[in-house]
Amino acid sequence: MKTVYNLIIKDLIRLKNDKPALLLSFIVPMALIIIFGNIFGGGGPRGRVAMILVNESNSPVAKLIESKLDTVKSLYVIKTFLSDDRKDTFKIDEQKAIELIKSGKSSAAALIMPKDFFTDTSTALKFKFYFDPKNDIESALIQGTIQQTIMSHAPRLFPVLITRQSLKFIGQDSTAKFISGFGKLIGEFFNVPIDSVIKSMTIVDSASLYSTSLNTASSANVISNLVKFENEQLVGKEVQNPGLTRTVGGWAIMFLLFSLTGAATSLFEEKQEGTLKRLLCMPVSRAHILWSKYIYSMLFGIFQLLVLFFFSWIIFNVEMFSNFLNLLIMITVSAAAAVSFGMLITSFAKSMNQAAGISTLFILTMSAVGGSWFPTSLLPDWMQTISKVTLTYWSVDGFLQVLWRQAPFSAIALNVLVLLTISLLINLYALVRFNNNKTL
Amino acid sequence: MLKINYVDKHFEKVTALQNINLSIEKGEFFGLLGPNGAGKTTLMNLIVGYLTPDSGSISFQGELVASDNLNVRKKIGFVPQDISLFQEITAYQNLKIFGKLYELDNKDLSKKIDEVLELVRLNERKHDIVKEFSGGMKRRLNLAASLLHDPPILLCDEPTVGVDPQSRNAIFDMLYNLNQNGKTIVYTTHYMEEAERLCSRLAIIDNGNIIAKGTLVDLINLMEQKETIRIQKTAATQSKIESLNLIGTVNEYDFYYELIPNDSFNQHSKIFKMLEENGIPNQFIQIGRANLEDVFLNLTGRSLRD
Repeated sequence: MKTVYNLIIKDLIRLKNDKPALLLSFIVPMALIIIFGNIFGGGGPRGRVAMILVNESNSPVAKLIESKLDTVKSLYVIKTFLSDDRKDTFKIDEQKAIELIKSGKSSAAALIMPKDFFTDTSTALKFKFYFDPKNDIESALIQGTIQQTIMSHAPRLFPVLITRQSLKFIGQDSTAKFISGFGKLIGEFFNVPIDSVIKSMTIVDSASLYSTSLNTASSANVISNLVKFENEQLVGKEVQNPGLTRTVGGWAIMFLLFSLTGAATSLFEEKQEGTLKRLLCMPVSRAHILWSKYIYSMLFGIFQLLVLFFFSWIIFNVEMFSNFLNLLIMITVSAAAAVSFGMLITSFAKSMNQAAGISTLFILTMSAVGGSWFPTSLLPDWMQTISKVTLTYWSVDGFLQVLWRQAPFSAIALNVLVLLTISLLINLYALVRFNNNKTL
Repeated sequence: MLKINYVDKHFEKVTALQNINLSIEKGEFFGLLGPNGAGKTTLMNLIVGYLTPDSGSISFQGELVASDNLNVRKKIGFVPQDISLFQEITAYQNLKIFGKLYELDNKDLSKKIDEVLELVRLNERKHDIVKEFSGGMKRRLNLAASLLHDPPILLCDEPTVGVDPQSRNAIFDMLYNLNQNGKTIVYTTHYMEEAERLCSRLAIIDNGNIIAKGTLVDLINLMEQKETIRIQKTAATQSKIESLNLIGTVNEYDFYYELIPNDSFNQHSKIFKMLEENGIPNQFIQIGRANLEDVFLNLTGRSLRD
């Protein structure tokens, strides 16, 4: 038993001195728990999903729904936009909403309550819903929230709409007969005044609607006739495999980070096996080694991503050739930024083990926060802010623009600029450290 | 050919080399002898430009050696102490990579690869993966990689560490032949036998300082006693050893005692007589020429292997 105890102590001592193992065992899972905890509850205020709301109706019902949507915590309701010079604010109209969704820079959905949303002759509430299903979770979340708001705050409207539909389809006499008989039945069954039941069932004008106190429940089939959604998908209609097209970029950049960080940190292996020293004793400078590693890794990364996208095209119809030039640009700048990240780790770490531990921590965290695994809109606001300083965010967003939105270069120009800047700054820093023998 | 002028090198608070001043001429087989941690590898790293001296300078064929002077490195061959080869590829592929980095063109390179592989007797294994090689074969390939560009000088940093006697002898023969063909060789070791066997001139280095330099004869001449008296360590001799203090100084080693007699005992007959009188019979006594181990001991008071 003493031997077993001593062997356990041996393992504990080794673990204590193995910083990368500790990092991977505790810090990495803790970081991921924080991120997932914030998304799926229990970790402070949840993130809000942006939705454009355009209310062109003068109906009090529309005003009521608007006011209720304003208070939904999970929604960030956008109603205005800034002018190009960012001095003036304008109200978003339907056309502008369509434009904003197509650009992908504002929100993935817009709820329009048109002028004829609810008039005195309406037999249903009329909504227009424009959306860009760039991610399933966000779209489902927005639609679910809208339906919940309508069902929770406008149920009293439904008997009115039922009555109007009866008048329209079966005529006034038959409707009066139906209301009289049905009202009598309800009054007797629930032991309430039959007159008040009949009265509430005969309200057809919206003005007097909210002066009554009747509550009514309705089945889903009835409601679907009473709330008319004109859904229009603005983006990605031609995409053959929406699910994979939306997510392939996120997964690709995560694996790219792993492979290219591994390629960059292989300098430690070369140091360990002595070949780095041999190279540095030849007519080879540290800058030569750094740049060769950078260019090799970048070419490898470009090739890796092309193979991955080609594979996705062959097997799953993920369209890569219709916007190929922009895809190639995104692949190149993503590879450049990913290699730079690897170089940064290499310039800081003191050993291969340390580099592996640190890179795993950062890659998994960046993937979670930057949108590789799920939309960043699900993150709390403060995490969404952090996500914008990760190269994963700019890369995932760029691939989404190129593959899903089939966007032109202008749509990814900012992504390209940010990724190149990250790459340039990190490389300069790593080069200085390498040349000054601060590392390896 | 190679001039090292008053070179100092520190690593944080540790002084690795201090005031090193050496000049190595063309065609020499120059040895740097010293115990582990004496500063031999640091000096080699400075000569090849891998490290930069804190003060002083190193020049080769009149050209300053510096980490950014890649031209001078083309003229230097370096055999690192560690086996510095890409293990997962073949011997031929390794040499091709290194040859390309020395800017040899394809035609010359193939010929040169065959030549150096022939020299280190690995021609038949040239398409084998390096990690499958024995330690000795790897050492030989390590040497071959440094000869591809036919450098006028070859720096060998303990190239026989961990090598079996057969491979070690093969490496000695190769280096000897290279030197005979005009190549200047600088060789570091902590084995005095290697230094004595190979080197025409030597510097003894200890704690970052060169404490002596010259030919083997010059160094032995530094000793007052050119001969050493060794007494085999046995149960019989151990009990008597203290009584020998009357004859001279006694140093104890793993397997023997070394006796450095006082001036009054300047004849072998006197010494043997005294030893016998002190209970140590002749069969336990050996008289030999002083070697580099003795020189090092004489200079530092420590053994090379300490």
